[in-house]
Amino acid sequence: MQLDFKSRELTIKLVYYGPALSGKTTNLQSIHQLVAGEVAGRLMTLETKDDRTLFFDLLPLTLSSENGLQVRVKLFTVPGQVIHNATRRLVLRGADGVAFIADSQRSETKANASSFVNLRKNLKDNGLDPTKMPLVIQFNKRDLEDIRTDAEIDALSARGNEPVFKATAIRGIGVLETLLGLMEMTWKHLEAEHQLEAKFGVRTGPLIAELEKHLGAKPGGSR
Amino acid sequence: MSGAPDLTLADVSRIEDIVDKSALNEVCRSFFDLFSIPIRVFSRDGALIADVHETRAICTYVNTLRSGRPACSALVAQVKNLEPKDGTIEHPCFTGAIYRVVPIDYQGRRLGRFVVGPYFPAELTRVPKSLLALDEDMDSETARAALGEMPRVRRETAERLAAHLTRILDLIIFSGHRAFLTSEMHVASVRESFRELAEKNQDLQEAFDRLKELDRLKSNFLATVSHELRTPLTSIIGYSDMLATGIAGEMNEEQGEFVETIRSKGDHLLALISSLLDLGKLEQGRLTLHVEHMDAPALLEEVATTLAPLAGKKEVQIAIKVEGSLPGVKADPVRLRQVLFNLTENAVKFSPRQGTVTLGVRGVELDNDDDDGGMGLVLLAAPRRGLELSVSDQGHGIPSGEQSKIFDAFYQVDGSSTREHGGTGLGLSIVKRLVEAHGGEVWVESTPGEGTTFRLTIPEEEE
Repeated sequence: MQLDFKSRELTIKLVYYGPALSGKTTNLQSIHQLVAGEVAGRLMTLETKDDRTLFFDLLPLTLSSENGLQVRVKLFTVPGQVIHNATRRLVLRGADGVAFIADSQRSETKANASSFVNLRKNLKDNGLDPTKMPLVIQFNKRDLEDIRTDAEIDALSARGNEPVFKATAIRGIGVLETLLGLMEMTWKHLEAEHQLEAKFGVRTGPLIAELEKHLGAKPGGSR
Repeated sequence: MSGAPDLTLADVSRIEDIVDKSALNEVCRSFFDLFSIPIRVFSRDGALIADVHETRAICTYVNTLRSGRPACSALVAQVKNLEPKDGTIEHPCFTGAIYRVVPIDYQGRRLGRFVVGPYFPAELTRVPKSLLALDEDMDSETARAALGEMPRVRRETAERLAAHLTRILDLIIFSGHRAFLTSEMHVASVRESFRELAEKNQDLQEAFDRLKELDRLKSNFLATVSHELRTPLTSIIGYSDMLATGIAGEMNEEQGEFVETIRSKGDHLLALISSLLDLGKLEQGRLTLHVEHMDAPALLEEVATTLAPLAGKKEVQIAIKVEGSLPGVKADPVRLRQVLFNLTENAVKFSPRQGTVTLGVRGVELDNDDDDGGMGLVLLAAPRRGLELSVSDQGHGIPSGEQSKIFDAFYQVDGSSTREHGGTGLGLSIVKRLVEAHGGEVWVESTPGEGTTFRLTIPEEEE
């Protein structure tokens, strides 16, 4: 998080993490398509010629909250390919919240797990405490064959700590819910750490409602 | 660069950091060429970063008037400092012209503003009173004529032009930002990878240093133990010698045989301990060579004679082959004898019954160490000559995969051969170190099933 008291500007960094080809960029593309023009800026992708993320994608969102505080939310994706770990660690620097995009296909279960282990390690290497990082998990590609069933995911998520969302990012299903869920968690975490309401008079409820209004989606996980 | 974009948030705080000024000027120039309206771009802190304008006839005229010049300067300064906090500002000039001040926002942050104008609103048809009242010398006809030369723009057109320019600037900033982030991320990623590798290298280096230290301790231990073992062994051999010679009284035949066994096994043990000690010294580089001119054929002859009884038992022939003239070399005769003895003894051991072991010597040109496929050979130091000694057998050979390992201490091609042929597995590692101590090289050539040739070189003395 970055605070500029002078220009009353607050910048939050949310990172979309996950294994290669799990749909992190697709999430951002969908958000970009779904969100109103005055809120979402241009989607920037730094990719190789074969459409694989090389460094990151970046989608800036801007919200004007009560009391004239400009809230800028920057959504980043990391490159999922294993070889780009140094870049992943760089992009993860200064993250305020993480959306972990998992691939629902059964065959990708291992890749999801090792990417998650990698996330924890990279958070630690960046001096961030993985247990305190606001985190939501999205099971993407619900439209594919041979995926982990809803029942399986529900059973697992009931045992875990994080909100779990199901999505088909390519059709825009579940992406806004994921974003709102993460935003809400992140804001509450930042509020607890930095007392934003006391400092700026910005209350969590109205801010999330503002975001919700622009996103046109309801927050809340599948649980 | 104080306002350098922040890589963590991929933010931009100054247009100048990411946009090429001359390219920005070119865009403004092209805009001016199309619409004849001046454009100025200011950064967030008010610095002028692009400016395309031509002095208007009306401005030239106003500046000739006594109260015109200060009024004009004041207005220009005012426009320059206008901050369009809540969106576009239309600022009127006393001439009736308009300055349109438009904010430049990027990713939810104010980066600067641009000023379009002065242009004359098409809706205005008369010379404004504010202009006529400016100076008592004002000539309304001159003023009207001068105003007529100014571009006339309808309000909605001006809005559209400004919106168009906003989009173009946004695209330029976006492209510049993207290019900037790409290059910065490139450098940062490389740096991060480098840091990661450097850390790993450091760990490996530390592990390597620890192993080297352990290896040194092992060598020390080996040397100490060998030395300590040798002292009592010398007594065992000495006393069994004395017993054998009958100093302590006659022994019967069986007792004599037992004592003889103790003595010969003692000798064997002593030889083994000596080679361990040699290896230890060689590993620590503590072995001193006593070099002198060497007579290679005589040395080979001596080795062949010494090993003749062993060869005789297996009906193996030892042949000596001296080829051509030999360069004079210096070597430690004791150590070189040890080397040749070891190689020849091995060759006899591994020879088939009635086979032949050939000891050869010839003069050769040694490979230059810096040789890069013969490139520039003519310019490099003249090739050195040296002596090549070889020991060949007709045994079962050494598989190619094993050939590089046989010079390692304790390595044996086939564990079972130790039991069959005896040996410590130290011989070849000592051979290698002794040859290297002479500045030479040793290697093996072998075809499984046909035999093995060990070759070693001793370089000619340097002049």
